[in-house]
Parts: sequence; structure tokens; C-alpha cells
Amino acid sequence: MLDGVTRAGVNEWEIPVGFVPGMRVPGRFFLSDALAELLEPGAVQQLANVATLPGIVRCSLGMPDIHWGYGFPIGGVAAFSLDEGVISPGGVGFDINCGVRLFTTPLKQADIKKPREFIESLYKAVPTGVGAKSSLKVSPAALTAMMEKGARWAVEAGYGTQRDLARCEEGGCMKQADIRAVSAKARARGIPQGGTLGSGNHFLEIQVVSEIYDETAAKAFGLLKGQICCMIHCGSRGLGHQVCTDHLKTLEEATKKYHIPLPDRQLTCAPIQSPEGKAYFGAMAAAANYAWANRQLIMHAARLQFERMFSIGYESMPLVYDVTHNVAKIEEHTVDGHRVPLCVHRKGATRSFGPGAPDLPRDLAAIGQPVIIPGSMGTSSFVLKGTATAMERTFGSTCHGSGRVMSRSQAKKRMTGKEVADHLLAQGIIVRAPNEAAIADEAPEVYKPSSEVVQVVHDIGLSALVARLSPLGVIKG
Amino acid sequence: MSYEELSHTADVKIRACAPTLEALFGEACGALMQVMYGGDRSGGTEKTIDLDGKDLESLLCDFLSEVLYVTEVDGLVFCRTDVCLDGTHLHAVLDGEPFDHERHNKGTEVKGISYSGMCITRDAKGYMLDILFDV
Repeated sequence: MLDGVTRAGVNEWEIPVGFVPGMRVPGRFFLSDALAELLEPGAVQQLANVATLPGIVRCSLGMPDIHWGYGFPIGGVAAFSLDEGVISPGGVGFDINCGVRLFTTPLKQADIKKPREFIESLYKAVPTGVGAKSSLKVSPAALTAMMEKGARWAVEAGYGTQRDLARCEEGGCMKQADIRAVSAKARARGIPQGGTLGSGNHFLEIQVVSEIYDETAAKAFGLLKGQICCMIHCGSRGLGHQVCTDHLKTLEEATKKYHIPLPDRQLTCAPIQSPEGKAYFGAMAAAANYAWANRQLIMHAARLQFERMFSIGYESMPLVYDVTHNVAKIEEHTVDGHRVPLCVHRKGATRSFGPGAPDLPRDLAAIGQPVIIPGSMGTSSFVLKGTATAMERTFGSTCHGSGRVMSRSQAKKRMTGKEVADHLLAQGIIVRAPNEAAIADEAPEVYKPSSEVVQVVHDIGLSALVARLSPLGVIKG
Repeated sequence: MSYEELSHTADVKIRACAPTLEALFGEACGALMQVMYGGDRSGGTEKTIDLDGKDLESLLCDFLSEVLYVTEVDGLVFCRTDVCLDGTHLHAVLDGEPFDHERHNKGTEVKGISYSGMCITRDAKGYMLDILFDV
């Protein structure tokens, strides 16, 4: 382990106060000994930097997929007191409400007789990659509704069912959205991109439920072994990126105005209750809503392709759940025996609310929230359930993916996109992307093994394994 | 081309070198276009950007953020950037062409320009920049 970091238990490590000057609380992160070998000093530094921010409660937390980002580390979680705490775009990221959703189908693997043809039809139906524009002509009024109502806008416009909304974190809409804090520039970027996937690590994947670990929870979530399902990973597109860019600028001024010392300029922030902090929060919530509407639109496009190709009913493809993994939210948590509202930042981390927690649909209240953890291209994804342990230890949070271990430049030198695609095809996985580099960038080898990361959160109890999903075909942006 | 991609696990880290600050800003813009669209880019359509920054880092960050906005909203892909700096005022003329799906769908979207790890240094040979693009 890195100098200055101490072991705090099995799979648990502490960064003591003093690791960087000005830390108000310790840092704490969760890693197996094997994963600890891959830890970057930059990520530890960033976790310690977060601990210097005013009003941080208990500790600065790192999930087992922690890696070096900007501002917060990726896999970082921090909660702030509403009275003394701050809100920071560096704790959310440029891609506000980047998230994942999963829907199931009544199909089995044998039903997909022409998998390549089907993947191609999905690729054509969902605009993908750099410069891709939506076929949807979103009016300025519709854009406003997307930002105010989130997934509900999409459902009301005919792109989904009422039941879908109950299966989204926050019902697919943050009520605190304030569109006055969203610039004309952000709006201009949002208009042509509704229903587009984007690029980088965003994807749409056809998967098969290959293993069930928890029959009761799987049944409640609607998951059956051998069933075909579809996972969608994307965020708020250029609109969200612009909201982050715009507010970084105003919050930088605010950081000076409120005399907040910062170890990293990307951690620029403002008191949650300040006009600048409230404006960022309102704009961020609007961008988060846009992202929920976006994922709803993409799911609708995918469902139509399933309907067309396999003659199955729209209603037979229920949404399991939709989680966000880049967001700041006001949530109530227990601190020193008292329930207190906190501003919880999750930057590359997933909410993992346990049984009985608020915001769970009634039929899942006894089980816990579905937690969806995508694997890298070619490796398994997992469905887990939220736990009481996460509520006690991590403000109801767990990991969000597997975490990169290799840079994009290294990845491209190591293997061409064609080699990666051929290698995956040999395992029965079809990859479709706009260019070869997009495939090479996201080769399975550039990520930590998803199964190891998920095993750590399961062992610590931050979420509990329910099912394993194996990839069959993937569209990369 | 006097920029290179450095190793960074999550994002794209660029190191650019140039004899002058103006050329350094141009190199950074070139690197941004390369990451997003690949190397096949031509000129013919000009776009002007004018802005003021508080310091050199914010001027560069604001400039590249503005390029991100323009490239997306105007659908333009740039091959050449001429930058003039006057104190903390920037005037840039970018030469480019409309986005062509076949030729330009070769890279990855950049979500934002980060201050984390941004560093502009000067030595006898000129200027060097390290900068992180969130992808």
C-alpha cells in the first residue's frame, strides 16, 4: 500500500488526517489486497483533497473502483452538511447523471437467431458516436419539459410506460431543477442530442442472465436465468457538459468570495445555501433530468427494435431499474444517531439504498434498491441490491463499474480495434462501433475485472449480489 | 504536430510544446480536434473566438471550452488555429469544415476541459502545457 495509508480492516483502508494539509476528516476506501496493487497515488491524493472541503461529514469515501479522475477521484463519495457544507461540480463531473438502466425481455438466447442483424438494427436505431444527431426534433418547449420533468416528459410524450418511472432513481426526475440556471449555450447543445448515446465508455448492450445468486431478490427485480435483457449506459450529453463548464466558472468566483481554500482548482465549490451553490444545484438537477429523459428515449428506441424483430409486446420489456452514478443529491442519513439532511456527492458511484429506504418502489421496499453495475466490454455486468450496511457506512453508496487500469493511449498501442473485436467474437460477443479506435479504447483488458470489484462490495456488504449478466452484443459510442 | 498523449487511466492527458504562448494555445486546440475527430481535417470555413480570462489557465480553459461548444453546435471541425493574446484577452481565428460523418467519426467526444493537473511552464526553448480532457 502507498506510504501514509493505513489498513483499517479487511478490504478497508484509511488516509489519516494530515495526509494533505487542511484535511477535516480522514479518507476511507475499500479495496481487496489484489485491487490495492492497482491503486494510483493520484486517486489517493484526490480522495484526501476532498477531505479538506468545508462541512464534509464523517469521511471522504472511495469505492473499490476508485481511480484517478479530476477534482474528486472516480469512485468518490462525500456527504456535506447543509448548513456548513459545500457543493462542487468536481464531485459530480462533466457528465451529470451519467447512469445505467436495464430492461428485460421474455426472450431466451436461442430466440436471437440472427444476432448480428439485430445488433445492426439497434446501431441504426440509436444515434451513436461523435457528431451523431437525434432524429427527434425537440422544440425549445420540449427541451424545457425534459429538464423539468426528466423521464416523465418522455413517458408523457409516448416514449415509455408509467411503470418505467417507478423504476427510476428519484422517479427519473429531480424536483429541484431550476432551468433559469441553465445557459442558452447548454440549451443549444441539448436540442439536437435527445436520444443519442454519445461516445467513450457509453454503450448499449444485449445480455443474457447467466447466473442468479439471490432467488428472492431476482424474482422481485423480474430477473430469470437465461433471459435476454438490454443495458443502456449514457448521460446528459453536451447539455450536461456545458452546465458543468458554465458553473465551474461562476463557482470559481464564489470559492474566492467565500474564502474557501482549495488544494485543486477543479474542486471549486460554494456553500450549498449560497446563491451560487443553489444555482449550480438547480442547473445540475435540470441536466440530470435531461439525462433520465435521454435514457428513456434510447430504451424506447431499443424496445421498438425488439418488438419489430421478435414480435414481442412493448409491455413485456419492463425496466428493472435506472441508476445515476454522477450526481449530487439531498438525502437524509443517520449521523451520530440523528437523521440529518445531507448533500451527498457521488462521482462514479451508485446509490445503494437498503430495505425500507425512502424512494424505493413499494414492491421492492423489503428487498432493497436494484444496483446495476456494468462490466467492461466483453465482461459480465451485475445486478446487486442495496443494503443496510451501505446506509450505515457509505451514505447508501457502492461502486459504479470496474474502473480503468490502462490509459487509452496504452490500450491503442496494445491491440487494434479489429483484434479486440475478433477476440470478443471468438467468445460469442458481437461489437459494433463507429470506428476501430472506440473498440481498442474500451478493450476488456483496460479495466479492472468487474467480478473482483463487485466481490469486494459484496464482501463488505455495500451491496449484495443478485445476478450476473453476460454480454452477447454491444454497441459502443 | 508538437503534442503527445501522456498516460492517464480515465481521461486524455496531453502534453504540448511551442515556442510562443499563442502557438501553445493553437497546439492545445489541435490536440482537442485530433482526439475528437482524428487527423483528416481540412479548412475553408472560418470561425472567430474572442474572450477575456482572469489568468492564463482560465483563458486556455475558457478558449478550449468555447471550441467544444462551437464544434458541437455549429458542426465544424477545425484544422488550423491562429491565436493572438493581448494580456488576458484572446482573439482566435479557426479554420475548418463542416462535420463529415464518414471522415470525422474517428475519435471520441471530449466532455470538458479540466483544471486538474493543468500546468503551463516556460523554459529557454519555449512553453510546455500539460492538460486533461475528460472523455
